[in-house]
Amino acid sequence: MAEPLERMTNLLALLLETKSPLTLQQITGELGGQYPSNAAALRGAFERDKSVLREIGVPIEQEVLGGDQAGQTAYRIDRRRYELTDLELSDDERRALQLAVAAVRSDESWGNEGLLKLGAGGERPSRAVAATVPTFEALPLLREAVASRATVRFPYRDHDRALDPYGLLLRDGYWYVIGYDHQHDQVRTYRVDRIAGVVTVGEANAFVRPSDFDIRAVFPSDPKLLGEAEHDVHRAIVRIDALRAALVASEVGDAAVMCRLPDGSIDVEVPCVNRDAFRSWLLGLTDHAVVVSPSDVRDEIVSWLTALVSAQ
Amino acid sequence: MTTRRGPRPAPERLKRLLVMLPWLMERGEVSITEMAEHFSLTTSEVVADLELASMCGLPPFVDELIDVFIDDGMVFTGVPRVFTRPLRLTAPEGFALLIAGRAAMVLPGADPSGPLGRALDKLAAVLGDDGVVVEFARPPLADDVAAAAEAGERMVITYWTPSRDEAADREITPRAVFADRGHWYVLADDHRTESERSFRIDRILAARPTGAVDPPREVSLPDTDRWFAVDADIERVTLRMPTELTWMIERYPVDSLVADPRPKGAKGTSTSAPPSTSTAVMPVLSEQWLERLLLRLGPGTVVVSPERWSSLAGRAAADVLAAYRSVSLES
Repeated sequence: MAEPLERMTNLLALLLETKSPLTLQQITGELGGQYPSNAAALRGAFERDKSVLREIGVPIEQEVLGGDQAGQTAYRIDRRRYELTDLELSDDERRALQLAVAAVRSDESWGNEGLLKLGAGGERPSRAVAATVPTFEALPLLREAVASRATVRFPYRDHDRALDPYGLLLRDGYWYVIGYDHQHDQVRTYRVDRIAGVVTVGEANAFVRPSDFDIRAVFPSDPKLLGEAEHDVHRAIVRIDALRAALVASEVGDAAVMCRLPDGSIDVEVPCVNRDAFRSWLLGLTDHAVVVSPSDVRDEIVSWLTALVSAQ
Repeated sequence: MTTRRGPRPAPERLKRLLVMLPWLMERGEVSITEMAEHFSLTTSEVVADLELASMCGLPPFVDELIDVFIDDGMVFTGVPRVFTRPLRLTAPEGFALLIAGRAAMVLPGADPSGPLGRALDKLAAVLGDDGVVVEFARPPLADDVAAAAEAGERMVITYWTPSRDEAADREITPRAVFADRGHWYVLADDHRTESERSFRIDRILAARPTGAVDPPREVSLPDTDRWFAVDADIERVTLRMPTELTWMIERYPVDSLVADPRPKGAKGTSTSAPPSTSTAVMPVLSEQWLERLLLRLGPGTVVVSPERWSSLAGRAAADVLAAYRSVSLES
C-alpha cells in the first residue's frame, strides 16, 4: 500500500490520461496494490481520495455504464475542464493583481492560492492603502450563480428564499445579494452575512437578467431605506446644532441641507421610512439633533425618550 | 505565510504540488531557495514534495510523472508528461482575485486604465460576467491622507473625539490608510503622545501639510476585531436587549452575545408572549458612547451590570427631551 498522497497523485494522473472512463475495478487494477485489498477498506479509501480531489477543485466526472458493465460507475477527468485557462497576463498585470490581493485584508487565503496558479508568488508586497473585505462561504457560490444565471435557494429569517441573483454588492462593509425573489415577485436585497444556512445553486441559464439592471440604482439609496420601497419615501427635517453641523452636513451631503441658521445650526432632510434605522441615526447624535417635522415622527421620538426616562 | 507549521495536511501538499510541477517544467531549472520563496515553503518542504513527485507515475510505473533531480541546490526537470498546466481556479480563488482587483480599483491612488484594469478584464473573460460591485465610499480627506502616508508627510489634523466631544489639533505622520466595516482609518505616528494611533478619517475635520517628511517605517495594520477585546482594562457592560435590536451593536466589539432562554410556561399560554431578548457583554469605549447606544436601543433594554450605569439612559433621554423643549415644532 502506498502513502495516501502518492496514491491520490497517481489516481489523478491516471484519470487525466485515460481515454475512456474507468471503473473502480479498473482503477485498482491499474494502480496495482496501492489500494487496500479488503473490499470495504478499498471503497472507503477510494471515496476519501475522490473527495479530497474534489475539495481542492479537481473536476472528476462520473457516469453509470451500460452494456456488460451495466450499473457500474466509471470515472475520468476532462483535461480541458481541469486545466487553468491561460489568462496571458503580462508581468505588470500579474504584479498589479498581486498588489491588489495584498491591499485586501481577508480571513481567507483564497487570493494567494489563486495568485500562485497565475504564476505570482513569493513575498507579499506591502501597501500604504488597504481595505478589509469580509468573506463568507456563500459568496463564491453566489458569484458563480450570478455568472451562470442559476437560481439560488437559502434560508433567511426563518424562511426559505428562491432568488434569481442579478449581482453582488459590497457597500459600507457589508455584502448584499440582489435579485428577483420568486415568492415576493419583485427585486429584493438580502444581506449575505444574514443567510442562515446552506446556499443551493440550481441549473445554469435559469433566468435572464434585465439588460438595464444596475445594482447601484436598485439598491436603496440610503441605508435608512433598506428593506423599503423607494417610492413611498417619507422624510423628516432634523435640526443639527452648530457643534455637529459640519460632520452631519458632510455625511448627508449638501443637497440635504435645507437651511443654515445664524447660530451655526442647520436643518437637514433625511429619509425616515425605516423608523428603526432613522431613530438609531438620530439618537446617535444625542441632544445635538432634534426632529423639527413632521409632527408624527417628532412625537414618536419624544415618546421613545419619555419611556426611557420613566423606565428607570 | 506566518502561522502554519507542523506537518502539512495531504490536500494542501497535493494542491501545492499541482501548481509547483507546471511552474517548474516551464523553467527547466531553478534553485531550491527561489522555489521555496515563491511558494512560501521551507527548502526541506520543497525537497520532500519533489521527492514525492518523483515516486509518482502512470501505469505500468516504469516512468515517473516528472524527471526531477536535485544537485547542489538546483532543481532540474526533464520533459513533462502530465500536470503541464496548473489546476483551474476554484470558485473561491476566482472570487477572491476578482474582489481584490475590484476593491483595489476603488481605493485611493488607483489607476483604472493601468495594468490592474487589463488584468481584471482578462480574469472576468475567463470567470464569466460576474455582476459584482465593490464600493469603498470614502470621506473627502481620505485621498490626501493616503497620499501623505505614501510619502511620509507630516500633517496637522483637527480631530474630533466623540468620547470627549471636543475637537483638537494633533500633529501626525500617516503611515497607512485602511477601510474596515464601512469606515476609513489612518494609522499614524502621533507626535504628541509619541505613539502609534489610529484615527477615523471621517472625524478629521481639517488637515494641512507641515512640509516635514519623516523617514519611512514599516507598520502592521491592527486587527480591528481585537482592538478593544485584547484590552482587559477597558470596563465591560452587560446589556439585556430585544433580540430584534441586536443589529445595532454589530459594528462594535462584543465579548459575547447570547439569546436569553424563554421564560418557562410563556409558550402557548398567552397570545402576547414577551419578545425574545439577548444578553450582550461589551467593552465600553466611553461613557458618552454607552449613553448614545442606550438611547438608540430604547426603553426595552436594561443595563444588567454595572449598577452605576443603570440610570444612564434615563438621564441621557432627559437631556435630549430638554433640547426638544427648546426647538419648537415647525408647521
